[in-house]
Amino acid sequence: MPVLEVDNVSMTFGQGELAVQALKPATFSVEGGELAALLGPSGSGKSTLLLAISLILEPTTGRIALNGREVYNNGPTGIDVRAYRRQNIGFIFQQHNLIPFLTAAENVALVMQLNGAGRRDAAKHARELLGYLEIAHRADWLPANLSGGERQRVAIGRALANEPRLVLADEPTAALDTERGTKVMGLLRKIARERQSAVITVTHDHRMIEGFDTVYHLDDGKLTETTRAVVAH
Amino acid sequence: MDLALKDIRRHLGKFIATIAGVAMLLAIVLVMNGIYQGNIADGIWLIENTATDLWVVERGRGGPFNESSRMPLDSYKSVAATPGVAKASPLVFYSAQRDISGVSQQFTIIGYDVFGGLGGPGRIVLGRAIEAPHYELVADRKLGLDLGDKVTFGTHEYTVVGVTRGAVDSGGNPLIYLSLPDAQEVQFQQDNRALVASRAASLKRLERAGYSTEQANRLLPLLSSTSDTVNAVLVKLAPGAEGAQVVRHIGDWLYFNVYTTDEERNLMLEGKLSKMSAVLGLFRALLILVSIVIIALIIYVLTIEKIRSIATLKLIGAPNWVIVRLIMEQSLALTLASFAVAYGLRELIVPGFPRTLTFLAGETAATFAVMLAGGVLASLMAIWHALRTPPQLALGG
Repeated sequence: MPVLEVDNVSMTFGQGELAVQALKPATFSVEGGELAALLGPSGSGKSTLLLAISLILEPTTGRIALNGREVYNNGPTGIDVRAYRRQNIGFIFQQHNLIPFLTAAENVALVMQLNGAGRRDAAKHARELLGYLEIAHRADWLPANLSGGERQRVAIGRALANEPRLVLADEPTAALDTERGTKVMGLLRKIARERQSAVITVTHDHRMIEGFDTVYHLDDGKLTETTRAVVAH
Repeated sequence: MDLALKDIRRHLGKFIATIAGVAMLLAIVLVMNGIYQGNIADGIWLIENTATDLWVVERGRGGPFNESSRMPLDSYKSVAATPGVAKASPLVFYSAQRDISGVSQQFTIIGYDVFGGLGGPGRIVLGRAIEAPHYELVADRKLGLDLGDKVTFGTHEYTVVGVTRGAVDSGGNPLIYLSLPDAQEVQFQQDNRALVASRAASLKRLERAGYSTEQANRLLPLLSSTSDTVNAVLVKLAPGAEGAQVVRHIGDWLYFNVYTTDEERNLMLEGKLSKMSAVLGLFRALLILVSIVIIALIIYVLTIEKIRSIATLKLIGAPNWVIVRLIMEQSLALTLASFAVAYGLRELIVPGFPRTLTFLAGETAATFAVMLAGGVLASLMAIWHALRTPPQLALGG
């Protein structure tokens, strides 16, 4: 069963003559352990699709299911949207978006605590997770004192803190040089494989296309092409 | 995880500087409260601390403090003879500015009948009351005088035999008590050259009016000013005497104005003190308003600075209460800490403040409540803004 099913999801902003269809009906699914890319130029609707999947923006039409559970079907299905995101989705941003007044470990532990973990358990698991991402030695550092690559690894740690089945990454390598960007992509691949999470990455960075299992091409809000690599999960 | 405390800890310097700034503003508000109440306390101190039932003053005059009142010295004898009066004493008082201990100081002199009369100093903290008919004085400690110190007024030297605390006139100036004749002498005493000049001028006027020099010299003493006047007569009623009847009797038969102590207090509050109280009250209200606006702005700015973090929190699914708690805790911490520091600052300011500061616990509590309500209101505005922030703001490049 796919982790994520997106069925005819579209997004229109405005009404009447001013209506703009930012996303034309899109259908695709992502399996656990799969690393998928949403590729396209700026303004092609990549981030809009990501916002629709996470229900940050409510789609205009369509159906979304996560782990077989319908979360949207031409309208909300009565779920708590914040809890849906908190419990099921890990987010990685272009600009890391770490909370600046929390240390690396605290940034990761925060998500665990928001999901009900105790303070000590959260702190312990946050350090373990930072160890997994090979950044345990920076656990007590504030984001301002970390390098760009280190911040992005902490952000990945935060995205994994709730052990999500779905990880959504919005241009995670855009602010990094090629070497650091390649490392981050390697990390995302490792996460997909080892944790059996579905990882969807928005990118317009063609340098990073190699290594994705599936690449969805978006152009002017329309899913135009799907490229699949042959991989054994 | 307490996000508010984490934020405060990471930006401790900034937070302390903000608290210091707000605390200084709040300290001014608290001191202004003290000045406001101190102004009233000073204004009615003399009225409340003069053991008298009635104040008798010149006809048509608004009490001895709001308007000048001059009565013949002997008028107290007529008042004393009124049925229902147990005791009547003359009182003079006037403002003066003289050199005391080498410093020019402003004060008010009270002259009273030192031999059992009314109107003497009530709060002697050091020494004793005046016991001699001349050349002794009781002074308030604000003047910096000590027991045994000598003060020169005119040609005489007066010895400090008692010191009071908090004895001030309606303007907050310290009081000096003298015997009645001494007070009159100090008030009307002129130096010799001034006396000679005044006599010569009067002589010239009489001669111009057609009097011979001999006649003018005979008339001259009649034209000289007299010091045999007082400003008020204080009255103690006999036990069981009907106050209203005594007031009516003195008014009708002696043709004086009579005020009870309550009326005298009201005259002061509605007269001399009313404008100053209104001005201070207005300043106080404005200061409180400005403080609330500044606290509100600080809390709002603190929230705006974190708006991207708040958007991130919303995006990763943090419930609203996490955001509300973050803002509310910081708002309360800022308000409470600022008020506590302001209270401490106020206590430091009080001893060296040049005017009487009177603090009422209820008023301080009310100021605290208003500030707290302002802080909560400000945080509600910030919370409203934070909760309206779209989570996708976190995705902006």
